[in-house]
Amino acid sequence: MRSYPSSLSRRSLLGLGAAAVASTALTACGGAAPGESGGGSASLRLLTPIFDRADGQELLASLLEDFKKDNPGVSVQVDHTEYGKLNEKLTTSIVGGQPYDVMLMGVGWVPPFAEKGVLADLGATEAELARMYNPRVIQPGIYDGKVYARPILLDTRMGIYRKDILAEAGIEAPPQDLTELREMAKELTIRRNGELIRAGVDILSNDLRQTYLPVMWAHGADLFDGGNPVFDSDEAVDALQWMVDIIRTDKIEDYGFTQQGAVAAPLVQGRAAMMVGHNDMWRQISESAPELIAEDKVAGFMLNQQRPALFQGGTLATMSAETSHPEQAKKLVEFLSGEKVSPLAAEQRGNIPAVLSAADSPYVQNNKLVSFAVDNLDHAFSEGGVPTWLEIREEFKPALENALLGDATPAEALNGLARKAETIIAEGP
Amino acid sequence: MSAEKLLQGDTDRGTRPANRIPLARLLRRTALHLVLATVSLAMVLPFLWMIITSLKTDPDLASYPPNLLPQVWDWDNYSEALEYAPFGTYFKNSLLISFGHTAFNLVLASTAGYALARVPFRGRTLVFMVVLATMMIPTYTKIVPQYLIAKGIPFFGGNDYLGQGGHGWLDSWWGLIVPGALTPFAIFLFRQFYLSLPRELEEAARIDGMGEFGIYARVMTPLVKPAIATVGLLTFESSWNNFLWPLIITSDTNLRVIQVGLSTFQQADQNAWAYLMAGTTLATIPMVVLFLFTQRYFVQGFARSGIK
Repeated sequence: MRSYPSSLSRRSLLGLGAAAVASTALTACGGAAPGESGGGSASLRLLTPIFDRADGQELLASLLEDFKKDNPGVSVQVDHTEYGKLNEKLTTSIVGGQPYDVMLMGVGWVPPFAEKGVLADLGATEAELARMYNPRVIQPGIYDGKVYARPILLDTRMGIYRKDILAEAGIEAPPQDLTELREMAKELTIRRNGELIRAGVDILSNDLRQTYLPVMWAHGADLFDGGNPVFDSDEAVDALQWMVDIIRTDKIEDYGFTQQGAVAAPLVQGRAAMMVGHNDMWRQISESAPELIAEDKVAGFMLNQQRPALFQGGTLATMSAETSHPEQAKKLVEFLSGEKVSPLAAEQRGNIPAVLSAADSPYVQNNKLVSFAVDNLDHAFSEGGVPTWLEIREEFKPALENALLGDATPAEALNGLARKAETIIAEGP
Repeated sequence: MSAEKLLQGDTDRGTRPANRIPLARLLRRTALHLVLATVSLAMVLPFLWMIITSLKTDPDLASYPPNLLPQVWDWDNYSEALEYAPFGTYFKNSLLISFGHTAFNLVLASTAGYALARVPFRGRTLVFMVVLATMMIPTYTKIVPQYLIAKGIPFFGGNDYLGQGGHGWLDSWWGLIVPGALTPFAIFLFRQFYLSLPRELEEAARIDGMGEFGIYARVMTPLVKPAIATVGLLTFESSWNNFLWPLIITSDTNLRVIQVGLSTFQQADQNAWAYLMAGTTLATIPMVVLFLFTQRYFVQGFARSGIK
């Protein structure tokens, strides 16, 4: 699975990026400021981590042909990259004084880059965007009250269960809350001579942070309050305790039973009855075990305790603050996040279209996990919120692992994590 | 003691060790071969598993416990993997860059290594220390400065004489090849080899009136073939596997390399395992072929330079 550079590297690069932005700003005196350039011809540079593979590249090329027809004289040079190396591409381009005009990036990336002055204010209002997107979906693109990014597609983490396994145990409906989930999972777990044959619930196939966060939100906790970390609150500790109980107290799943990026998730293999997983699991199942879909054996359920919660990631379109063609770049941002491109981009990656109008599309309706996510976007939460989030998030996994392995209590792990986050925030981006 | 007994005793003394040594040697050899076979198998197994995985279908990959051999040998994975991205272009680009790096590195590093080993000049040790020191700089920390240098090359990519106004070597073959054209490790390796050659050879050539370049090219370098093979193979391998720099410096798909192509099988949300293994199998072939041709010299190269 994807490997991310160390936080030190990222931090160093971001630091250099910030310095470069400052120097670029100084040396760019006399250049066209965003908003000053008029229409007409322009050559735009677009950096994208989505529209991957040959089919994605072809799709984007054909969509951009449509864009060019509507915007004669505007050409778009596309730079395809992957999420794992997006930060390096962005930073080197900014440091080199050649920022891309339009950049696609993930949820949680907007505050750091907006804070550094890399991104342009798109001049849109929340009310205006709310006509096109679910209000929850808009939030990751907003920083300091300004809209810096518009959503293209979303990806979510949710509860997923095997109907057939639950039915065999006489269980007719998925768990209504996390307490019930734990009890149900205990019942569904099978061990033979101590060896785990089937986990009642699998919480290890997904990225650990992305599993913990929806559980934490469901317990009523939040990441930040007024820019300060609050993920060591009592509710957050209860959330991590719930995960620790799954592994250490109830032995519902063994640490090492599976891992993120495994060839197949235990749920697909019948080695888990439920899981906290990515909506893209639908695609994995359709390729690896299509009979499960044909026989309607898989469905999603909401992680719920104090409140229902869905983890929401995604890809957003942003515009550089340094672009020489702000009008055309803004049009490209609107085009990429618009009603034509968003559904197609989402379908190509097996994700969720950001636009409301795609909710009834055949793709969404036929993909039960995507349609479940679309139906529950009102309960979606996004990570991030502070400019140093990209550094802070790297600290989550070791802290969570410490708790799951019994090296620290949930309270100790989260307190330590919060103190580290405070230090990172104090040092600044 | 009779002569017969003496003879017998002599025979015993003579045959006993003769019988024991082959047996001990046989046991030692058997043990050694067992260990070597086990280690070899451990080395080969990941490659075998990669090839087997590349021939499995998705349901086969997902089955638990995993099947040792594919239930259906899905050779289509290879053709489908090649359709995932323009691998023909990526493969050609990687070959060009790898051969370019190898050729430049062999010429430049051997001359530098020769100078550091055989040509006395003031500050030679300091220069060698600086070369060694550059080996200790992590790649990540060099990326941004290297990017800035590539962008600021004068008279290229629309740049003026101050290196401004254009994009320099970004998105160009220059940017892909020149920054990796000389490695400090290759200089170090060549130096060690040239140091090991007898001074008499050099002196004889000098007495015969041969110039310094002639001594380097016609007398000394033909004697360091293991170094040439070692540096050539290592440079090719490193260049072939390079991912980050080609990704960062290029935006044009036509300039992308095989490793960037392989990354298309690995996305944040899912991996296309069968295609990834098929693509990796294909990408491994040039390295395996190259090693087969150069392995004799390659092993000598490491043994003689004292590197393990």
